[in-house]
Amino acid sequence: MKLKKYLVRALHRLQKGPGYTYKELLVWYCDNTNTHGPKRIIKEGPKKKLMWFFLTLLFASLVFWQWGILINTYLSYNVTSSLSIGFKTMKFPAVTVCNANPFKYSEVKPLLRELDRLIEAALERILQPTPGNGSQDVSPPLDLELWNQIPLVLIDEHDKDNPIILDIFETNQTAVGNDTAMDSTASGSKLAAVCPQCSHQGSENCTYRNFSSAAQAVTEWYILQSTSILSKVPLHERIRMGYQAEDMILACLYGAEPCNYKNFTQIYHPDHGNCYIFNWGMDEEALNSSNPGAEFGLKLILDISQQDYIPYLSSAAGARLMLHQQKSFPFLKDQGIYAMAGTETSIGVVVDELERMGYPYSDCTVNGSDVPVRNLYSQYNTSYSIQACLRSCFQNHMVEICGCGHYMFPLPEGVNYCNNEDNPGWAYCYSSLRSSIKQRQICIDSCKETCNDTQYKMTISMADWPSEASEDWIFHILSYERDMSTNVTLDRNGIIKLNIYFQEYNYRTISESAATTIVWLLSSLGGQFGFWMGGSVLCLIEFGEIIIDSLWITIIHVISWCKGLRQRRARRLAALPTVSELVEAHTNLGFQPEPTGAVPRARALPPEPGTPPPNYDSLRVQPPAALGPDSDAD
Amino acid sequence: AATAPGKKITARLKRTLPVRGPQAPTVSELMRWYCLNTNTHGCRRIVVSRGRLRRLLWILLTLSAVGLILWQCAELLMNYYSASVSVTVQFQKLPFPAVTICNINPYKYSAMKEYLSELDKETKKALETFYGFSEGKPKVRRSVDDWNSTGSDFFQQIPLLKVEEFSRTATDLYSGQKRKIEGSVFHKDSSIVNSGDSSDIIGFQLCDANNSSDCALYTFSSGVNAIQEWYRLHYMNIMAQIPLETKEKLSYSAEDLLLTCFFDGLSCDKRHFTRFHHPLHGNCYTFNSGENGTILSTSTGGSEYGLQVVLYIDEAEYNPFLVTSSGAKIIVHDQDEYPFIEDIGTEIETAAATSIGMHFTQSCKLSKPYSDCTETGADIPVENIYNKSYSLQICLHSCFQKAMVDSCGCAQYAQPLPAGAEYCNYKKNPNWMYCYYRLHEKFVKEQLGCQQICKDACSFKEWALTTSIAQWPSVASEDWMLRVLSWDKGQKLNKKLNKTDLANLMVFYKDLNERFISENPANTLVILLSNFGGQLGLWMSCSVVCVIEIVEVFFIDSLSIVLRHQWQRAKKWWHGRQRGKEPRASEPQRQGHDNPVCIDEDLPTFTTALRLPLPQDSPLPRTPPPNYSTLRLDTAFTEQLPDTLELGQH
Repeated sequence: MKLKKYLVRALHRLQKGPGYTYKELLVWYCDNTNTHGPKRIIKEGPKKKLMWFFLTLLFASLVFWQWGILINTYLSYNVTSSLSIGFKTMKFPAVTVCNANPFKYSEVKPLLRELDRLIEAALERILQPTPGNGSQDVSPPLDLELWNQIPLVLIDEHDKDNPIILDIFETNQTAVGNDTAMDSTASGSKLAAVCPQCSHQGSENCTYRNFSSAAQAVTEWYILQSTSILSKVPLHERIRMGYQAEDMILACLYGAEPCNYKNFTQIYHPDHGNCYIFNWGMDEEALNSSNPGAEFGLKLILDISQQDYIPYLSSAAGARLMLHQQKSFPFLKDQGIYAMAGTETSIGVVVDELERMGYPYSDCTVNGSDVPVRNLYSQYNTSYSIQACLRSCFQNHMVEICGCGHYMFPLPEGVNYCNNEDNPGWAYCYSSLRSSIKQRQICIDSCKETCNDTQYKMTISMADWPSEASEDWIFHILSYERDMSTNVTLDRNGIIKLNIYFQEYNYRTISESAATTIVWLLSSLGGQFGFWMGGSVLCLIEFGEIIIDSLWITIIHVISWCKGLRQRRARRLAALPTVSELVEAHTNLGFQPEPTGAVPRARALPPEPGTPPPNYDSLRVQPPAALGPDSDAD
Repeated sequence: AATAPGKKITARLKRTLPVRGPQAPTVSELMRWYCLNTNTHGCRRIVVSRGRLRRLLWILLTLSAVGLILWQCAELLMNYYSASVSVTVQFQKLPFPAVTICNINPYKYSAMKEYLSELDKETKKALETFYGFSEGKPKVRRSVDDWNSTGSDFFQQIPLLKVEEFSRTATDLYSGQKRKIEGSVFHKDSSIVNSGDSSDIIGFQLCDANNSSDCALYTFSSGVNAIQEWYRLHYMNIMAQIPLETKEKLSYSAEDLLLTCFFDGLSCDKRHFTRFHHPLHGNCYTFNSGENGTILSTSTGGSEYGLQVVLYIDEAEYNPFLVTSSGAKIIVHDQDEYPFIEDIGTEIETAAATSIGMHFTQSCKLSKPYSDCTETGADIPVENIYNKSYSLQICLHSCFQKAMVDSCGCAQYAQPLPAGAEYCNYKKNPNWMYCYYRLHEKFVKEQLGCQQICKDACSFKEWALTTSIAQWPSVASEDWMLRVLSWDKGQKLNKKLNKTDLANLMVFYKDLNERFISENPANTLVILLSNFGGQLGLWMSCSVVCVIEIVEVFFIDSLSIVLRHQWQRAKKWWHGRQRGKEPRASEPQRQGHDNPVCIDEDLPTFTTALRLPLPQDSPLPRTPPPNYSTLRLDTAFTEQLPDTLELGQH
């Protein structure tokens, strides 16, 4: 019963709505709202009223405008960076050590014999262009098969318009007819060495790669040829031909602890043959270093045995080393540094870290899983890096276009390395792909950098080592330890000392943080609203309420208007407008805004006798009974 | 009759636009009214709370809140011009920087012979006199033929001296006569000078040509420094007289310097290099200078994709006194920047491969009012005598050169010429050396004001270099490499190159990450205002409206109340004087709410709302007002619920 009564009441209240007129509602709102401006509008005198009305409008529009700015700022996802520098116990970087020369010449000599004879003969021809030197008559005939695939030619540009191509081993001269990439680089009086590459369709489609220097041409040519030869050799054989850890790493000391070549992880690097990585962190925990200075770093003595270098392949001699993060692949061509033979190289390290926020603040990837390039370096169990992505991208393109993989990069499954026999046109395909700007752009666009970027800033200094005074005994001991012989088997040209240590400040971390968070946004919005109008979220809710109320009023008006229309149609009799209609709002007890204002009701009705008040109720336009059930039915 | 319409108008005006002062008659009433009606919190508490202690507490709290607001807002204002730093790393195709390569030796010694033979003779003589050194057998160099001719008077003007510290006497190189040192003694490297046992110090004396008593003696702890400095002074004198075209011919040509060149997997040659004449380093060659409008870029990092050059150093042509080290100098810079190779160049060793890995960083600072830097250098009152974009180095050098031209009348040789000036030499400016040294002293001690005028540039590009060296050519490849390079050099040079004459250089991007460090304003006006709003709201729930209220109440209203009081007093006093001693029972001072002036427009009453005439004050009996409650119109809903009625009556 009670419940029913309650429900009916609720229904009535809903039906009734706010019961104000628009003006009433607005006045009520202005009077009772918590925002600061509106109250003034109704409380002040007419002039001030106007002023306050415009002020309130101005402030409200200012608030909305500035809210727009704030939200825009938030959506641009700015970041601020904080920098911290100092020393802390950190993981010692992984150190990759390689020889600049990939294979021992004594081991690969049988494979490269033909090639070497060829290049020697070619050089002989180039350097002494006058025929008749009987030196090569003694040697066995050259195998020109290799040569004919990619020959070296000379271009005589005495005559600018009509350059003459001169094959070194043949006497016939051909005028250039169909060269595609012929740009006359050399000056008119000079001879240029060029190595042409023809696609396998036939000799018509040829590209000449011009070199202004013969040294450069010979080196490039040799690299192309030897790549083709070595790619046929199985991996374990190539590892055997490279430098072995026990031959290369003569001494090792990490802090106070001795270490030896067994602490190094072997990895086969296509550029540099066998490389050895210290503290790679693949199997065991990475080493920490908690002290700065050379005393607590890694000290290495390496032997690069320069006599065993392949003469035409690598002209620079030394060790190639690189510091990198644990579990990342060393890209020595990009980030590696040289250490010179016969010197002691000291490398002070500062870890330069950059920590980024990722999407939507910056476009980076956490582990490379969202990059649309198959990471070929994952077969080494290494983490994603931008270099790995770029190389994988190139290799994927190469496999797609040329049908075989390049020797310098890891292979996708089911693909072989390129060589001259199976893929006669690969060199042409490779060099056109390599110089293609479009291909590079595709790779740059599809690869993303990692969010946590760690670089090792190095301060490199060098000194002669061993000194003249200590030379003898050092060589003696090292030779004895390695070869168990009392003869000195080492010399200045092969021996390198390395010190790698943390500097006094060993880290510099730049970390990003969002400049605008949602908390920032809310407090700024609140600040703006509060600053101009003293408002809060509740004020917004109030405003919303008022809008709902005015909607109600509209509905009620519409209903009563409809009803009035119906009744008017029913009764053409127009009722006179009564005073009560005008003063309805003020007399309606439900909506008396200020009971203390005006005249108190008690005094308004003096008790003195007089004419009895007219019974205004009789003025009612229609009998209440007629309306009652109607409205309840609504 | 004439005044009647005027009065009417004013009365009407008064009625329609009543000019009324504050509603409260006294200041204290006004305050009370303000406190009760203001939107700010705290004030109301003061009025409402009972008990003296409580009221005091609330006054204190309100005042401290106001103080806090003022303090915090001041703090906010002071921190307005702060900047936040953001570091963005972008992986992209990078423009390759300009690489300027110079031989350390500026000019071919053999070609310079005709200009320098005099000077060299002098130097050798000095060496023999002071140290007993004579060139036994010239290894590579040509000996100077005639040894006995006397030196020219220029060298006699500024001779090398052997100074005995204790007796303060100097021995002249030529006459051998001793003379007393006058004037001040400048030690070029002073830390070693007072070591006591060094009895003889080498130096030279510079005198003001107009006033020979004004002399300065420059001494050096080591003869090596003294001779080099002395040689350089004379060398600059001589070089200043040679026109630029001749100097360019005397120096190395691009073919001389560059043996091979390789960029981004493609061959390049001297046409990719731009000549740039440096006063101290002779002809330098800039790769990728952007002169023909195109700037090369790299889209792959790594040593194969950068610049690889083999340089021919030609040690046989080195000037033995001017440069004592051999090799090349390179500098990596932006295309718009001037290469200050003598200041920040990197030296390249011969017989070695130097690999230089670059890392690109671009920085951008906010200019005024955030920090004191300049965007274009246009606001610096120093003329840029280099035709390159502004940098701090350029400004300092320009400033010094300007001071030099102003005070010495000629320009220093190592820097470009300002308009209308010429380089210093003995013939025209016999006094310049002394002047230069004095000026340089001032410059170093920051007395010229250059360091104060010059500001750093707001944005700059930086290439961080990681340099490492390997032996080159390797023992195994040395033979063929040298042979082929000799062939490259050309058949006319019919000798095999020596590996100490060669240097291999690789300049490449380590990675293509561009680090962009930029400062952004930490605050905008919007944020400042929101912070103000936050502070005002937190402590007092105040807003701009409250501020306007405060201005209105505390300044305008109280002022007008005070003025009104003063006016009334003055009026009373005036009336009193006019009426003389005629005492008149003055009307009781209308105070407070009785004051008709202060009858405020109350909340609309029934009568005012309807604009009915005000009720007459006459106590005549009349019809009582009708009971309007009964006049209720029928609304859509007849039944007034009791709870809403109650609400309405409140």
